[in-house]
Amino acid sequence: MYGKGLRALSVTTALVMSGAIALVFFWAPEDADQGFAQKIFYVHVPMAIVALCGFVAGGLMAIAHLRTRDSRWDMRSYVAIHLSIILGVGVLLTGSIWARVSWGHWWVWNEPTLVSFLIIFLLYCTYQPLRFSIQDPERQARYASVFAIMAGAFVPLNFIAVRLAQQYTHPRVLGNISGNLPGKMEWTFFASMLGMTLLFVTLWKYEMTSKHASSQLRRLKRLLGEEGQSTGRRSAAPAPRQRATQV
Amino acid sequence: MPAIPLHTAVSYVAGAYLVFFALVLIYVAIMASKLSRIETELSELTELAIKERENRDPAPTGGPKTDPAPTGGPKTDPTEAGGPKPEAVAR
Repeated sequence: MYGKGLRALSVTTALVMSGAIALVFFWAPEDADQGFAQKIFYVHVPMAIVALCGFVAGGLMAIAHLRTRDSRWDMRSYVAIHLSIILGVGVLLTGSIWARVSWGHWWVWNEPTLVSFLIIFLLYCTYQPLRFSIQDPERQARYASVFAIMAGAFVPLNFIAVRLAQQYTHPRVLGNISGNLPGKMEWTFFASMLGMTLLFVTLWKYEMTSKHASSQLRRLKRLLGEEGQSTGRRSAAPAPRQRATQV
Repeated sequence: MPAIPLHTAVSYVAGAYLVFFALVLIYVAIMASKLSRIETELSELTELAIKERENRDPAPTGGPKTDPAPTGGPKTDPTEAGGPKPEAVAR
């Protein structure tokens, strides 16, 4: 179901990512201000944008879950948020490295973009504990969806708040691309952006395929197990290692 | 801000890209372990299905005693008479 077209997508992702990296190191010019260190920009910024979009997408999928009561939407939302958290770790680490090389510090607390991303990341770090602290699968999915919607709405609000902030020490990328980035840098950035987006979608599909397969297996196992046992031992209790998020 | 020396910048850039690739690799490794777990479960399930079928169809090739009459079968468990049909389990 989710594995359809996964091979082609994986190959495309690998090709685009390789092409983007080749563009970064062999085609894009060095920045006059930051020199070679500016190459971090091509991995850090697309990763941040894709992570934030993943959070928002998780919120939109959660809306679909609450509207339709279809647990597959809840699973999609969960996987999108889960992947975005992983990318968020990468954003914070690469951002720290870039801050160190640019500003001489691993972390700058008075920089609104950094701190706002950290706030969003920490907010989403509470998603999984919240989710798995609830036993009942139905309630778990519902509460997680509500959380995903609220937090997903917080992401663009936070972005706007940062834009409205007074201090603009962080390099701006999307607001004035044409004025800020030379053509080659711009194309390289878009290639990196495309590669990162494809990577997110590919990994999302991988995880969805894996979760779907394991849940189907578990269901089949339960069915066969019930048939194999005597008829008096039927139970509505979930399997011992069943995670309620897995449909 | 002046550009920092190339030899210093290279290590930081390499570090940043390594972080990214390490994250992807760790993720893929976790996915691979999940896949192997699925494979194990699948093989267990296959074994279970084979055993189920064997339990339901004890003589698949047709033995000499195929008389369906209850008096004819020497070792027929009476509780099996009302059980589900084998086809219902197999599907």
